[in-house]
Amino acid sequence: MSALLAVSAVTVQFDGVTALKDVSFAVPQGELLGLIGPNGAGKTTMLRVITGVVRQTAGRVELDGRPLDGLPTHIRIRRGLALSQQIVRPFREMSVIDNVALAAGLDKTASPLKALFHRQRARELDTGRGLLARLGIEQHADESPQIQPMGTLKRLELARALALSPRLLLLDEPLAGLNSKEARLLADTITEINRGGTTIILIEHNLGEVMRVCKRLVVLDNGEKIAEGEPQAVMNNAVVRAAYLGSGAASQEGERHAAA
Amino acid sequence: MEYEISLATTMAISVLFALSLNLITGFCGQISLGHAAFLGVGAYTSGMLAKAGVPFLLTLPAAMLLASALGVIVGFASLRVRADFLAITTMGVGFLFVGVVRQQDALGAEMGISAIPDAGMSKFAFMLFAVLAAAAVALLSVYVRGCWMGRVFGAIAEDEDTVRVLGIDVPRFKLTAFALGTALAGLAGALYAQQLKFIAPDSFGFIESITVLSMVVVGGIGSVVGVTVSAAVLSVLPSWFQVIGDYKLLVYGGLLFLMMRFSPGGMAALVARIFHPDRWGTK
Amino acid sequence: MLYVELIAQGLIQGSIYALIALGLTLVYGLLRILHVAHAAFFTLGGYVGVVVANQTGSLAAAIVAAMIVAGLGGIVVFRLCYQPILHQPPFVPLIASIGLYIAAEELFRIVFGPSGLTYKYAFLQGEVELLGFLRFKTGELVVVFGSAAIIGVLSLLQTRTRIGVACQATVSDPQMAESFGISLSRVGDINFFVGSALAAFAGVMVSVLNNMVEPTMGSVPSYKALAIIVLGGLGSVRGTLVAALVLGVVESFGTIYLGHFLDRNAIAFAFLILVLMWRPQGLFARS
Repeated sequence: MSALLAVSAVTVQFDGVTALKDVSFAVPQGELLGLIGPNGAGKTTMLRVITGVVRQTAGRVELDGRPLDGLPTHIRIRRGLALSQQIVRPFREMSVIDNVALAAGLDKTASPLKALFHRQRARELDTGRGLLARLGIEQHADESPQIQPMGTLKRLELARALALSPRLLLLDEPLAGLNSKEARLLADTITEINRGGTTIILIEHNLGEVMRVCKRLVVLDNGEKIAEGEPQAVMNNAVVRAAYLGSGAASQEGERHAAA
Repeated sequence: MEYEISLATTMAISVLFALSLNLITGFCGQISLGHAAFLGVGAYTSGMLAKAGVPFLLTLPAAMLLASALGVIVGFASLRVRADFLAITTMGVGFLFVGVVRQQDALGAEMGISAIPDAGMSKFAFMLFAVLAAAAVALLSVYVRGCWMGRVFGAIAEDEDTVRVLGIDVPRFKLTAFALGTALAGLAGALYAQQLKFIAPDSFGFIESITVLSMVVVGGIGSVVGVTVSAAVLSVLPSWFQVIGDYKLLVYGGLLFLMMRFSPGGMAALVARIFHPDRWGTK
Repeated sequence: MLYVELIAQGLIQGSIYALIALGLTLVYGLLRILHVAHAAFFTLGGYVGVVVANQTGSLAAAIVAAMIVAGLGGIVVFRLCYQPILHQPPFVPLIASIGLYIAAEELFRIVFGPSGLTYKYAFLQGEVELLGFLRFKTGELVVVFGSAAIIGVLSLLQTRTRIGVACQATVSDPQMAESFGISLSRVGDINFFVGSALAAFAGVMVSVLNNMVEPTMGSVPSYKALAIIVLGGLGSVRGTLVAALVLGVVESFGTIYLGHFLDRNAIAFAFLILVLMWRPQGLFARS
């Protein structure tokens, strides 16, 4: 299998603080990779480097063997990335379905001129309804996101990312803020999406679900990659255990999830 | 009759001008406190060309182009600075325009340009022309809001960082909003110069920018019908009621404040609240 | 010699800007509102000052009265106008504030008449010579040293008193401060009182220097002060003070060297736009 995404020796420094140090990993086509680590390990910064929100100080990011470096976010998305953000950010002035349809209209929003000369969106609404149904929130399609509970919003965020028909889906803590039943259901949905052929990088603190759904993990701590491999082997790694145990309450919660 | 025709013309030009700002501020969420500068660019371009012997109708594209070119430059500023910084930058553009024009003898300096040649239309024909132009811009606005561009604008107004993550080139869409909105302001300016036959720098200052903003805000930011109605009413209110004429700014200021304080969505929101109280209610 | 004179004139003007802009910064730092209506307190200060001075013949009484009236007015505006719309998107309080300012300017015109008021007594009109070639009005020196003294005292109060520390804490983290029992409303009252009182002091001094109080005297300083706090990085007190002085000097040079091309206001805003294109966060961004 060839690597869909290749991250090579990425270093990020902000004002002298090193957020990521010489991190490399590759994501083969079709994989569901867990990117884990204690709070402040640099996971979200890694996603931001991949999406182009943060520019790396050194190193390369390639998608399909083509470099992404220096490209603005929207072009990277058009090359096949999609991001489901940690803090859900639906457009609150639009209905749930309109949120998803906007993302599904990628070819119509490619330029202002195209956008000006296209009115129809039956196809995008269909795509959107399909995705909402797949995520089990189609009954909220015509409502405002403002009245939805967190579980629905997390799914909306995911549906909107899927509407971009990504080849590589980046999920930043999709399970955060959900109770254990909701988290389990959404993790199952994520697995299904992956089986459908979408490559996924999953950042998640809920280690129990991560261990359950991911086939491979990359562990970051203090901006460095400390382990990579099979979930069970990684969690038995002494360095990883030390990183989690040494980093306070959040990680203990992670351990609890892992034990559950 | 003459008086009514002139009122209707004023109304139409104000509606056109307010709708042009509504494209930028209402649809795309980019606040502008210096929109009158683009009215001024259009007015001066049309006025100067007309005095040089160019027929009125041919001055219109020039007025729109020049205003739009300046608009794109200010649009580039909107890519650099956001929200409060953008508000003050656009306010600065307004002051810069008046400050520059005031010192240019070629543009008539403080005295402005007078005796702008007639378009050769009767007063009534000119009024029709202005009304048609305003109607066309209203239709254009409705169209834009309903097409994909309008959807993208709405999303940018709400959260442009998220729009980027949806693969949309936010800068180009913002520049388009500025280009369109300021071109239409330039058109309004050309009509304004032709109607009054006289223009001076002070007609395009901060107060004018705030006046047009108040038309948009009172009508309901983003609402085409609301903005059309409020611009039409607010533009002729001063002439209808002499009392208001004297206290025109007190009424404008007070309305702006009261609208924001009690109904930030403007009249459109007030009306919506009265007729559709449960539009966003639960299922 | 000309340079020194231009710099001195720039610093005088800059001190006046600083007094006005300081209130705006205090409000912005706390509430994230561009308080355009702030300049109404500059004008109000001028009117209270001229009325009290002409009644009593005492400039000191005029200044104190103006500062107290404007300060209390500031609290009223905070409580009645801003506090209820703080949760709205930023353009809502901004536009409300512009509306308030325009209405206030008209009220001054209606109440005091359009032509303005003048002082019956000549205050601080004497001339002082410094270094042999610089001539100042006494009033100009009072402005510069008065502003410096007031700002110095305020910065001492801010670091040495409980209330000052509470204000600072609230600005840097309102939620944290509230959980320590600091009332946001109380801190808002203090900021509006102090800021408006400073603007009123500037209003009295400017009206004394020009011997004129007009309804529109606040408009230009109002927009300039906005430019200044944006230049200073929005919310940074130190940035605001530096930006005010820099702008004063830039204007005084600009008027001489660019005056045939740009008027004084345009110079200020051209400078603002240039700086923002270079540093979109202003000269001194808060970290």
